[in-house]
Parts: sequence; structure tokens; C-alpha cells
Amino acid sequence: MKFQANRDIFNDAVSFAVKLLPQRTTLPILSGVLIEATEDGLVLSSFDYEVSAQTTVVADVEETGRVLVSGRLLAEIANKLPQAPVNFTVEQSRVLVSCGSANFTLLSMPVEEYPSIPQVPGQTGLLPANEFAEAVAQVSVAASRDDVTPVITGVQLEIADNRLSLVATDRYRVAVREIDWDAAKSTIEAVTALVPARTLQEVGKTFGHSGTIEVGITNTDDRELISFTADRKTVTSLLIKGNFPPVRRLFPEVVDNYAVMNTAELVEATRRVSLVLEREAALRFSFTADGLTLEATGSEQAQASETIDAILTGTDTVVSLKPQFLLDGLGAVRSEFVRISFTKTENPNKPGPVLITSQTSKEQIGSDSYKYLLQPNLLLR
Amino acid sequence: MSKQDGSARQVSAASVDSSTATILHVDLDAFFASVELLEHPHLVDRPVAVAGRSARSVVTAANYPARKFGVRSAMPLAQALRRCPNLIVLEPHFEKYRMLSAKVMAIFDEMTPMVERLGIDEAFLDVAGAGGVHGTPADIGELIRSRVRVETGLACSVGAASTKFVAKLASGRAKPDGMLVIPDEQTLAFLHPLPVGALWGVGAATESSLLARGLRTIGDVAATPVSVLQRTVGAAAGNKMHELANGIDPRPVTVGNPEKSIGHEVTFEVDQRDSELLLRELLRQSNQVAVRLREAGVTARTVVLKLRYDDFSTLTRSRTLAEPTDLGRRIHEEVSASYRALGAHPPVRLIGVRVEQLSSGGSGQIGLWDEDDSWRDAERTIDDVSSRFGRGLLGPASLLRRADVVADPRQQPEK
Repeated sequence: MKFQANRDIFNDAVSFAVKLLPQRTTLPILSGVLIEATEDGLVLSSFDYEVSAQTTVVADVEETGRVLVSGRLLAEIANKLPQAPVNFTVEQSRVLVSCGSANFTLLSMPVEEYPSIPQVPGQTGLLPANEFAEAVAQVSVAASRDDVTPVITGVQLEIADNRLSLVATDRYRVAVREIDWDAAKSTIEAVTALVPARTLQEVGKTFGHSGTIEVGITNTDDRELISFTADRKTVTSLLIKGNFPPVRRLFPEVVDNYAVMNTAELVEATRRVSLVLEREAALRFSFTADGLTLEATGSEQAQASETIDAILTGTDTVVSLKPQFLLDGLGAVRSEFVRISFTKTENPNKPGPVLITSQTSKEQIGSDSYKYLLQPNLLLR
Repeated sequence: MSKQDGSARQVSAASVDSSTATILHVDLDAFFASVELLEHPHLVDRPVAVAGRSARSVVTAANYPARKFGVRSAMPLAQALRRCPNLIVLEPHFEKYRMLSAKVMAIFDEMTPMVERLGIDEAFLDVAGAGGVHGTPADIGELIRSRVRVETGLACSVGAASTKFVAKLASGRAKPDGMLVIPDEQTLAFLHPLPVGALWGVGAATESSLLARGLRTIGDVAATPVSVLQRTVGAAAGNKMHELANGIDPRPVTVGNPEKSIGHEVTFEVDQRDSELLLRELLRQSNQVAVRLREAGVTARTVVLKLRYDDFSTLTRSRTLAEPTDLGRRIHEEVSASYRALGAHPPVRLIGVRVEQLSSGGSGQIGLWDEDDSWRDAERTIDDVSSRFGRGLLGPASLLRRADVVADPRQQPEK
């Protein structure tokens, strides 16, 4: 096997292929990247039985063949190569990479033991890439990182009526956003898929500027797979099994008690006041006609408070919120102003959740569909 | 290590300079047995064990005269009676133990705020800052011993040293009813002649692999290169062991949750195979554990099932919850799942439920939803009814028949 490739194209392809490789794996062979030199160009793939990445790039193939090499090492090498064509040769079990004045010799891994990359399901629909990337970033902040409950480590994708909604939760907050979905040639109108949040975040980052993303979903009993394809790059992921909790019913239908603040001001004040807090502790937010007062009580009698402008509609309200959870929501609304709405609750022992939505100005509600629902802590004093 | 019968007892002279031995380990001597003997003072010099009345119960505690016959806690009562036919068996009264333990812990708290409780009958105290008020660590140790004796009638032993590990060893050597102070500069002289089994974390298996390498005393371990120890017992354990053997133990006295786990277990009259009966027993124990969690105002995140089969082999299975709980129903769900995952099994001699990773849930953080809301109400209601009218009036219908009665109809219930 022998080929020559453009340095930047080669580097881009290798870094894409290894990006989704697991940090550590029990099977060393899965840490490899598969390189196939074909008549049509170069195909680079990685697969860990859950997630696969595959890309096809142009190259001058002198001799076809396939080889498996350590993914991370090759990515680091490709990233540091000088600006010159990359020559790649395989001699028995040794891989020679030469580029300008630099030469590397790597040991190949046993390619015959490598699993076959999953087949991409037929196209289910099309997504606008930048909107999808933004929605993934906004929603996945709320996904759980605790593997004890796998279903909520994923982002639930729900497709219906030419809309895709993304939902994530970690039991303390729920984030939801809807974007357009083009069913294109597909006959599938409604389908759901639960995709690991980590994988979806990488897909969002990788395909954010790709124009349109093709999505394929196979949701049968024996194989549950989703694929994302754009720019001759494909990522597939197994779906998470299990039922996503019915979190949409937690959102209030009407709220008449809410406050509007400048987002940046609230972010800055929250960061400042929470400096005295101990880890995991909550901030107290008092909303009145005079504005919003943030108060923190830390250890060793350290205290902090700050008052910022807020336009309150409805009654004075006090809530206790974990600063990081609030900041995650404020970072995701992506609007100059933000609305925090207070919901009522039937349970006297549990404060009602607060709803964070965007506002383009003090008066004007944002046009996007992003909603971030956050459960306040118990008021301890 | 020592035979726990006081035969290797070692105590300090009054003149010892204790100024560097600022960590105290205080341990109540044969706690449960001593409490029972408060009401039976005429039995003090006779061998006494605390155990349930059933023929298959195990020894919960034994006094020092009983230990001289080789009676140990956790030993089956039948075996204890074989070793010591004149053994006097008293029934346990756990509420009394809890009450007296609280009294003793309150005495510790008056000496220093730096008290780390270990279970019901022992604690570490860091008295480095208490010196000005109550004197030297040795003075404080003696003050604690006399106050515990006067206020509760119980004897305790105190070890004083510059580290937790050595303080605990010292209190063990001082038993019964003694105090041993190991000044910092004497740490190694005290430590090195002791057998390797005295090292923290060295159980039977590790001990035999150390002995197989010719390492008999803590001094031998201290003189062995870390790399050799690591090959014998693993990287982390080898490192730790080498530090301890050289008197290095950086763990501070941490004021924290007094209990690290809460558990209940039962040994059946007759070995059990009936999974329905075992699951019912798990439900009963899960509820008991949950009541204690709620009484202590804490929640648990890990739930452990323990089984001992008829051949005495013991297994535990633990599961971690997404959310800490104090509900019997949640605990029962988890132990039942662990139990069902075992499949077919030999007859069961002992079954138990334990919860770990306790936290006092003071952050006030709550979830948006809670599948257990209605059960929480139900169990709180049971708590309320019980606090007014006594335990046992209200509970799951499946527990109306007592498990041990079903197990063997010939046995009459105790009450």
C-alpha cells in the first residue's frame, strides 16, 4: 500500500477519524484508525462498537491496501507535519510516513481483527447544520454525566411534523429546543432517537459549518443506529436503549409571574457573588419591584450580595438556585436579555421550577424555541 | 495480632511526655457486654457474651473473662458454648447501647470539637488545640476515662500518638481499661516489633503473602523496598503499607458523619431456599434500614445485599442509585434486583441489607421529578404513626406473617 496526500487534507481526515475514539478502551485494537487506499481515494475510519467515524478524501493512490495504526499517535504526527506532501507507505508490518524532511516509522496493528464499520442507514431527513449545532450546544448542557442512569446521559431527538426537537435532562434541569427538519425523500414522518450527548456534541462541532447534514435512523429491535453525514464525513452512533423520562409535562403552560434581566449583567453578578460559596451550595435570588438581589453565605462567615436591574411582572419571589445550573441556562439562551419565569407548585415542600427563555429586548420575547427549566433548591433559611 | 483478651496489655507510666501524641483513639471496652453487665454486676468476673436467644445466633460481644476462653464477636453462639460451656448469654438491648454511646460521645465533644466517630463505641480525637484548657493529651485521656467511668459506669481504653494508625494500635494494646501514650519519637520503637497483621489493611490473605516473603514484623515491612511490597500486594497497597510501617499516616481527624453505613441482617433458624421468603425478609430489613436513615436525617447512595450460604461462604452485591434515598421501597427494589440477578443459589443461612455512602443532604438540592413521591408520603406516615403508637402497627401487608414463623412452623415466635 502506497499513497501521497495533501498535508492539510490528511491532517483534517485523521483528526476527524480519531476525535470520537474513547479515551481508554479495553480492546487495544479499537484505539486504531483504519486507513484504506482505494481507486476512489483514501478512506479513514474508527469504530469502538458504539460510535464510528468515517471520511473519504482525495489522494494519489499508487498501490491500494488497508492498514490499521494507532489513532492518537498518527493524529499527533499529522498535526505536526511540515507543509509538504505526505507520503505514506506500508512495508509488511511497518508504516512509513514521510513529509518534507520528517520521517516516521510506525508499527501497524492486526487489521484482520478489526471489526467492520457499521453500514449507514438510509436517509431519514435533512438538517440545517448551523442551527443543529447551536441547538445541540444549547440542549446538551442539561444532559446528565452520571452513567448510573444511562437514559439521561443522552439527548432525545424527536421528529414529527417537519420539526426536530432536542431534549436533555439530568433531573435538575431540562433543556428543549426545536429546529426545522426536512423529511426530503424519506417516508418516515415521526421517529425518536436517544443519542449519547457526548457524541452529539462532537457531531455538532464537526458539522457546524457543513450546510446541510443528512441524518439516517434505524430504529428496529435488533439494530438501533443513527448516522450523520456531511462533507464526505459520516458519524454513526448506537442509540441508548430505554425510555426517556416524560419531561415535557414539567413545563408550565402559562406563567404570569416573571422577571426580565440583562443576560450579561446577571451572569457577571452570579459569578461574583458565588465566589464566597462552598461547592454545591446555592445562591439566593430575591426578585422585587426594585430589582434582583443575589445573596451568598459561604463558610467562615464570608458573605456577598449584589443588586441588579430587573423588571418584575407579578409578585415578589425568592428562589435558591445552584449558580452553575443558572449559568448553564444563561449561557445557552444566547440573547441580550433573559426572562426567568416562576411556576406554581401544588407541593408546599417543593418550590416550583423556574423557566429560562430568551428576550431580544426588555419587552420583546425571543423568537427561538429554546426553553431551560430549572428546579430551585429548598430555601434553607 | 493480639488475642484481644488483654493478655498483651501495655500501659503508660504517668511520667510519659505526651505533648507530641495529640491524636487520641478512645474505644469502649467490650461495649455491649459491659452495658449488659451494668445491670448484672455480680457477673462481672464470669464469662459473659451478648447474643440473641436463638440456637443459631452469633455472639455480638464478649467480656474479657469470656475472651480468655476464645469467645469472639461474630462467632456462632454454638461454637462459643463449646469453647466455654459456662458462658452466660445475655440478650442484646440496642437502644441502651445507642443511648450510652451518645452520652460518651457527648463527653468527647466537650473536650474538643475535633471528634471523628467510628461506629457506636470508638472515636478519634485531635486534642492539639485543646491543650490549654484540659492539659496534655495524657491528662485529657485520663479525664475522659474517669468521666466515662463516673458518668456511665463503663470502662474505656485510650491510645495517644502522633498519627491515627498508631493511636488505634495503642488503644488496642492498652485494653482493658488502660491508656498507652506513644510519643512521636517512640513511634518506630513501638511499631516495629509488632506482627505484620497489626498493620492497617492487612487481612488474613495479605498477612500470609507477607509471611511467605519472610516479613513477620512491621519492622521487616519498613525495611523492605516499596517496589518489593508493591509486587507482593499491589501498587497502592504496597505504598500505603510502607508508609504506615514507617509511622507515616497523613490522614487527619475528620469531623464527619458518625456512621458510614447502616445495616440489618438476620441468621435464620433453618437455612432458607425459598426466594419469596427471602425477598420478604429483604423488604422487612429494607424498611428497618430506611427508618434508621430517616431518624438520622441522612440518605444513602449505595445499597448492599449480603448473603451467607449454608457452607458459610459469604457474598455481597452492591448497587449505586442515581439519587440518594431514605426510602425502604427504593432500597428493597435494589436489593431484590441484586438478589434476583444471582439466580439459583444454595440454602441461605444469613441475609442482610446495608446502605453506604451516607450524606446528610444539607444542600437542599432536589430533582424536578421524583418517582418515589407517593412512597415517601407513605413511609413518612408510617413514621408518624409509629412515633405516636409504637413501631410495627403499620407496615407492608406482605410482612404480616413473620418470616421466621413461616420458615419453621414448629418454632414459636418469641413474643
